[in-house]
Amino acid sequence: MIETSGIIDGGRRVIPLAAMGLAFGLASPAIAAGTLAGTKISNTANATYTDPAGNPVTIPSNTVDLRVDELLNVTVASADPGDVAGQPGATNQVLSFNVTNTGNGAEAFRLTPITAIGGDAFDPNATSLVIDSNGNGVYDAGTDTVYAAGSNDPVLAPDTGVKVFVLSTIPAGATDGQRGQLDLTATAVTGSGAPGTSFAGQGTGGGDAVVGSTSASARDKGFYIVNAATVAFVKSATVADPFGGTRSVPGSIVTYRLVATVSGSGSLANLGLADPIPASTTYVPATITSEGAPLSDATDADAGEFAANRIAVRFGTVAGGQSRTVTFQVKIN
Amino acid sequence: MIRYLLAFFALTLPAAAFAQSDVTLTSEMFVERTVPQANGTAKTVLEKPDSVPPGAKLVFVLSYRNQGSAPAANFSVTNPIPAGVAFESAVDGGSEVSVNGGTNWGSLGTARVRNPDGTTRAARPDEVTHVRWVLKSPIAVGGQGKLSFTGTVK
Repeated sequence: MIETSGIIDGGRRVIPLAAMGLAFGLASPAIAAGTLAGTKISNTANATYTDPAGNPVTIPSNTVDLRVDELLNVTVASADPGDVAGQPGATNQVLSFNVTNTGNGAEAFRLTPITAIGGDAFDPNATSLVIDSNGNGVYDAGTDTVYAAGSNDPVLAPDTGVKVFVLSTIPAGATDGQRGQLDLTATAVTGSGAPGTSFAGQGTGGGDAVVGSTSASARDKGFYIVNAATVAFVKSATVADPFGGTRSVPGSIVTYRLVATVSGSGSLANLGLADPIPASTTYVPATITSEGAPLSDATDADAGEFAANRIAVRFGTVAGGQSRTVTFQVKIN
Repeated sequence: MIRYLLAFFALTLPAAAFAQSDVTLTSEMFVERTVPQANGTAKTVLEKPDSVPPGAKLVFVLSYRNQGSAPAANFSVTNPIPAGVAFESAVDGGSEVSVNGGTNWGSLGTARVRNPDGTTRAARPDEVTHVRWVLKSPIAVGGQGKLSFTGTVK
């Protein structure tokens, strides 16, 4: 180590030559990660002069080499467009993150999910991390590689990244609209810490490994949102007796009205209802309606039937906030 | 006998008949580091490590010396900027640079770079490909000096 005292020219001033004028160089593309780790920087200068006999002489300097250290840098960014919706108790709910090596050497990164985070309504239960090994950006169960910390830490070339999927179970006790946060951290396996921290001789390519501005560790947030729905049924009856009144007597026609109301931010699939014909009554043929439209009694292609002395109607998937109304009639024996 | 004489002439003739200029050029590469001091100030030191991270500031020092017996005239030193290094500045303001591989020379302020769309713009320091110094007067016998420029590891 020497101290700088200023570099002194030999006292011989420099001759300014003709101005450069229009001399064009070519712009070269920049590499985001910097010069690759392990690259050798070699410097050699040349001198020319005229000897006393008037002959030109050219001499090279010695060559000095310097190896480029590995700079350890990484970024993590959520790859989901928004909260990932899941129902209470649902398993294998997928959050996506992009992990990118922003350093200048090939580096392995340790991946860790963090779920115990304050300020959210529940802690997702992270069950596995999966590397998008086929690179299609989508979680493929059974195809993409399940991550095991320390055994298959992804090794990323400089300026390249990989998508990581975090699979979680939503707690069964979570309720509609609650959010749960899950963060993913990625840390350089060689080392991390304060920028400038150096790991002698551990850099890719033979130099040192030096922690860069990202501290060689990065973290980003992902969110689950509970998307639950519940259904409530309300049944009512109106009676028309044979005499124009509303008394329940033999021969009276009872019109039943069943309303299924779905609430919550989710939706219910394969929603349907079935109602047995009450004792001492007889079903009035061809009286089933769904949303005001008649349905046939036969067990056929339409969404309802009368069979085994009960009526049944199917609605398919119904979103929260919607309701379905069914009516049918029976005659009091 | 004749062979002996020829050998004798060959040995003695250059030294006896001509004065020689014999210039050596030595290249050194330093890394500049700022070391905080106990009293709160910072000291800049030059080190010679085996390796450096991207972004490190490099100081290149070229030392020349005429160890011959005659002055060396028209002395110039040319240093192509090594791959992986972005030129910053020459400590000696009288240097010249080239941004096109040593074809044209001048001050950095006059250098232009052509954009892909055909327009031109002022060259940036990191686009310098070569730096050189041309000395006005011959290097006297025993004369020496240092030339220097700085750059950063890309």
